Amino acid sequence: MTTILKAVNLTKRFPGVIANEDVNFELSAGEVHCLFGENGSGKSTLSSCLFGFYQPEGGHIEIEGEIANFKSPRDAIKMGVGMVHQHFVLVSEFTVLENIVVGTHEAGWRLDMFKARSRVTEICNEYRINLDLDAYVRDLAVGQQQWVEILKALYLDAKVLILDEPSAVLTPKESERLFRIIDHMRELGLSILLISHKMIEVMKSDRVTVLRKGKVVGTVTPADVTPQDLTRMMVGRDVELRMVRDRASNLSETPEQVLLVENVSYRDGRGKLALDDVNLHIGKGEILGLAGVSGSGQKELFEILAGVLIADEGKVSLDGEQIQGLPSRQYMDRGVGMVPDDRFREGLIPEFSIRENMILGWQRHDDYTSGMFLNHKQIGIIADGLIDEFQIVAPSGATPVNHLSGGNAQKVILAREFIHSSKLLLANQPTRGLDLGVIEYVYKQIIAKREEGYAVLLASEELEDLLNLSDRIVVMSGGRITGIVDPQTTSIEDIGLLMAGSEKETAA
Amino acid sequence: MTQVNSSVDTDASSRSRIKIERRVNPKASWTFTMYLLATVIGLGLTALLLLTSGADVIKAFTTLFNGAFGSQKAILATLAKSTPLILTGLATVVAFRAQVWSIGQEGQVYSGAMGAYFGCLIFAGLPAWLYITLVVLSGMIGGALLGGLAAYLKDRYDVNEVISTVMMNYLIVFLLSYLIGGGPWTEISTTVVYQQTGPVPSASELPHLLGSSKLHLGFVFAMVSAVICYILLEKTPLGYEIRAMGFNPIALAYRGTNIGRTVVLVMAISGAIAGLAGVSQIFGTSHRLTVDTLYGLGYTGIIIGMIGGLRPLGTVVAGIVFGGLASGALYMKLLAQVPAALIPAMQGILLLTFLCAGVAARYKIVRVKSDG
Repeated sequence: MTTILKAVNLTKRFPGVIANEDVNFELSAGEVHCLFGENGSGKSTLSSCLFGFYQPEGGHIEIEGEIANFKSPRDAIKMGVGMVHQHFVLVSEFTVLENIVVGTHEAGWRLDMFKARSRVTEICNEYRINLDLDAYVRDLAVGQQQWVEILKALYLDAKVLILDEPSAVLTPKESERLFRIIDHMRELGLSILLISHKMIEVMKSDRVTVLRKGKVVGTVTPADVTPQDLTRMMVGRDVELRMVRDRASNLSETPEQVLLVENVSYRDGRGKLALDDVNLHIGKGEILGLAGVSGSGQKELFEILAGVLIADEGKVSLDGEQIQGLPSRQYMDRGVGMVPDDRFREGLIPEFSIRENMILGWQRHDDYTSGMFLNHKQIGIIADGLIDEFQIVAPSGATPVNHLSGGNAQKVILAREFIHSSKLLLANQPTRGLDLGVIEYVYKQIIAKREEGYAVLLASEELEDLLNLSDRIVVMSGGRITGIVDPQTTSIEDIGLLMAGSEKETAA
Repeated sequence: MTQVNSSVDTDASSRSRIKIERRVNPKASWTFTMYLLATVIGLGLTALLLLTSGADVIKAFTTLFNGAFGSQKAILATLAKSTPLILTGLATVVAFRAQVWSIGQEGQVYSGAMGAYFGCLIFAGLPAWLYITLVVLSGMIGGALLGGLAAYLKDRYDVNEVISTVMMNYLIVFLLSYLIGGGPWTEISTTVVYQQTGPVPSASELPHLLGSSKLHLGFVFAMVSAVICYILLEKTPLGYEIRAMGFNPIALAYRGTNIGRTVVLVMAISGAIAGLAGVSQIFGTSHRLTVDTLYGLGYTGIIIGMIGGLRPLGTVVAGIVFGGLASGALYMKLLAQVPAALIPAMQGILLLTFLCAGVAARYKIVRVKSDG
């Protein structure tokens, strides 16, 4: 097979870190090649270099044997490299066709929409992509928007398609369809570089290049290795992925209700019904899993349960007391802890030190003040104790959290929310973007809280983790609860169906 | 990773390149060097400006310096000039640290002066110390009310604070012009009508310090305000909230702090400090309420707060430097025949070079070997 794209001794540094070091990598024509590695291993940096978004400090990129010096993505596109980012870059008020055509080099001063339409239709037929070209992007589901992004790349004659974690936003059904078409693209001679950390997708590709700490660990053929081998290559050690849960300790059939949510509805700023008549309850010492593709209303639900958002209708009761409508301060005072999904935006003050972040929200609490002043000494003692207890790796408690890795930053939030809450823990995607080692740690901590008698609401994109950890799982789709299932009798496929919106009649 | 990584190729044939990289931890010595460089460049550009106006550059700078810091009398005059500037600078620090972009210091200086003047009329006859205290307090309340109004509009109706404060600056100056230009506060005179009030009661004047004819109690207010601002920002829960709001209001709100209430507090405190500048100018320096003596103090305060790095101590230093520029300018104008209009130009140049230094302090220049 001929090599279409090649990285030779590619090195890219950021202040303080080497994101890629001497990376060598080859993409053959007509293959699906997977870049596999933990967060922060350099996958995204490598793909950004290949797409011309970053300029490497050392080494070079070859396209079909010729050295390519990409100054910007424009150069990469000219050489036939296309990329679909995790976050889509689409104009929601434009139609599909307009999004594909506008801003391309062919557009020039005058748009020939008629010609463009026939080209796009041709591409759709060739790759068996089924999409209404005249639909407005704002009306499309996330999975369909991804197709628009892919079409944008194909319209620009991409020979190499870089897909950055394409299945992260898809339901199991949608991603199945995506991979069917990826297979078809490969048959038609397209080369695909797939960035993923999902084992199933990795095992389906032709070759896998594993990255760890910015370096290539090796390139292997999935047929020759086991998933365990790949995990070991990625992490550098063996990892116990399965959380062993002692379900026997969960014998009391009717646990005391801690949280009761009744008929909660919420309309977002644009008038869309983000939550539609949501009912659920969580008992003492129970983990309730929450599954759903992103944008199904989980975020709004979490915000309402933390008092950050006020529902339009319905009741939220904590230990029998109706608290919906009170300010978030009151929720915190009553023992509700929250681990938000966007940790640097919603959970931390990035420029503040670890110590200062440990008291975020509790800066007026008696423990941290003396008279009208902050008691910095006391804050330091308590915070440094937590740094030890939660094994946060940092030069000192005075280190700003934006100098910490995602995992250590997340531990700061966990430590803060764990010690300041007492009844209910809301954890939205607590393991997103973290290393396996830290994921293991976070889950252990959550289980420990459950043993202490907390009610826990846990949302995760990793359905297997939800199945392993939860006592019950509620599935949301389009702002509605489509089912509440028992993880011991339910398969991932069943949950996938519920995530896609088909209702389940029997609740567990 | 959002660091800027602009690389500049110096020479295509050379194998090493100059690169600009962001510093992980800015070093104090480097920061100092940058600000020193900014001063030198700023003075250099000012010298060019002086040359184009045909003045003797050396003589101009010498008289400027002597006029500002050359004698004890000059220093006291400089400190007197710097008093209101330090206060409006501190008002800027409190607001901007919370990323509340208030441009209302100017208007709050007027409303503070008006509040104090109102106080000096209604509290007349009280014992001296009580009288002065109440006059000063009514001035601070005057500034705080105007600041608080902008904050209320922002919190309740989402009115952008930049727009509302700028508009209020206009409104308040027109109100003052009416009050002292034909309205109830106008000085009754037999010949001509000036835009001013009569002299304030001598019992309400701020006492002078160190036997100086210029330096007055207002300077002590400025110094105490600086210390209080420092303690407020660094040592109190409210200061924590102000700083946190400046960096990430979303996370602060997520963890139970009422952002709207914090904005109102910030603007009220900022307004009270700006109001104090108006009080000290009227009751310490001009001894009557006019527009001329207050004009521009608030806008200059924004520059001073920015140059001071939005820190209380830096603001005091910047305020004294600007007080010196203003004070020395008079001498420069008299002795070196330099147009006084060059002083605001000089202030503008210094602001630009200092802001550049502030950015430059966060980057470093490195040589890298490239093998491409």
